[in-house]
Amino acid sequence: METQVLSSAVLAIDSKAQLRDKTDRLTVTIPVEALFTFLSKLNTDSSLAFDMLCAHTAIDWIAEQRFEMVYELYSTTHSHAMRVTTSVPRENTVVPSVSSLWRIAEWQEREVYDMFGILYENHPDLRRVLLDDGWQGFPLRKDYKDDYLLERPE
Amino acid sequence: MGLVTEKLPIFLEPVPGGSVLLASMDKLINWARLNSLWPLTFGTSCCAIEVMMATGAPKHDIARFGAEVARPSPRQADVLVIAGTIVKRMAPTLRTLYEQMAEPRYVIATGSCAISGGPFVYGSYSTVRGADEIIPVDVYVPGCPPRPEGYFYGLLTLQKMIREGETLRHPGVRRKPVLAELPPGITMEDIRRDLVHLLEKEARVDLREAENATAESTERLLRSGNSSSLIRSTRD
Ligand code: SF4
Repeated sequence: METQVLSSAVLAIDSKAQLRDKTDRLTVTIPVEALFTFLSKLNTDSSLAFDMLCAHTAIDWIAEQRFEMVYELYSTTHSHAMRVTTSVPRENTVVPSVSSLWRIAEWQEREVYDMFGILYENHPDLRRVLLDDGWQGFPLRKDYKDDYLLERPE
Repeated sequence: MGLVTEKLPIFLEPVPGGSVLLASMDKLINWARLNSLWPLTFGTSCCAIEVMMATGAPKHDIARFGAEVARPSPRQADVLVIAGTIVKRMAPTLRTLYEQMAEPRYVIATGSCAISGGPFVYGSYSTVRGADEIIPVDVYVPGCPPRPEGYFYGLLTLQKMIREGETLRHPGVRRKPVLAELPPGITMEDIRRDLVHLLEKEARVDLREAENATAESTERLLRSGNSSSLIRSTRD
């Protein structure tokens, strides 16, 4: 699908979806309450058919006290790609899990939980995946500290 | 080997000529050992490409030094080559592998990651700062990654250490090789001074001098009567 057609089709799904400018691919921001329905429409709509979640990660915007969740989607039937982002406040990091839409999200969300401490609602098995089970804290948060870490001297 | 290394020296030492015999047996054993160092390749990141693949490939060909028989099992290996970053989750495995290797065992740490943590020494929550925090290391090969030649130099250094060791009387003890001697007439001071000079020369760009240099070369071009198009292009 052409990017123009794709973007209007995507924006027609939900009026709260906003197009982001200055991006390398079609990027849409959506409030976290509408995230799950929006993503499931993208997944099931046969003309969009985003059947693959390439990557899922988070960005810690500590100055704005929020996490930005990023979903990279791709459609193997139509060969088009897009990105969906949403924001959650740092003090309440609960996001709906999309593992019911894409099985792979199960591990990707475990990794994001491991590194950023994002809590996923309805995730079947939310455990750490890369770090030790007893690890304290979430190392990719900008304010992470532990006894082992060395600060770079000025 | 246990019988030879533990019992034999005690019997042979008091016998007339026994120490000479021991020394020549040492030489024989060392010769055999240093020419068939089988590496256990422990490639955990980018250094593995250089140290395991590039050195093994025909261009550099590690077989020239008898160390091409890379073993995936620690029980058949003599030298543990740590090629890459070691993270906290990997550290217990590395220790286990080292313990599983049969004596005599040697360790080469290649790359700044395995030496000190390298690029990840600051601000990393997971990187172990040097393999020698976990196991004793015999030879360090610096670089990020080291050139294959660097790795060969490390290997040859290890061979030198083995050659100079006393295998029978002090089986566990390895003599560290001394630094190569400086050529006659050159002191460490000279080298330091030269290095400082070089560094300062590189670091400072004298703009006036640079301008004059280009003006001079343009003039020289004018005087030598080169084609006018060339002169115009240099001026532009
Ligand atoms: S020393 Fe450099 S090349 Fe080697 S593993 Fe570390 S980062 Fe990679």
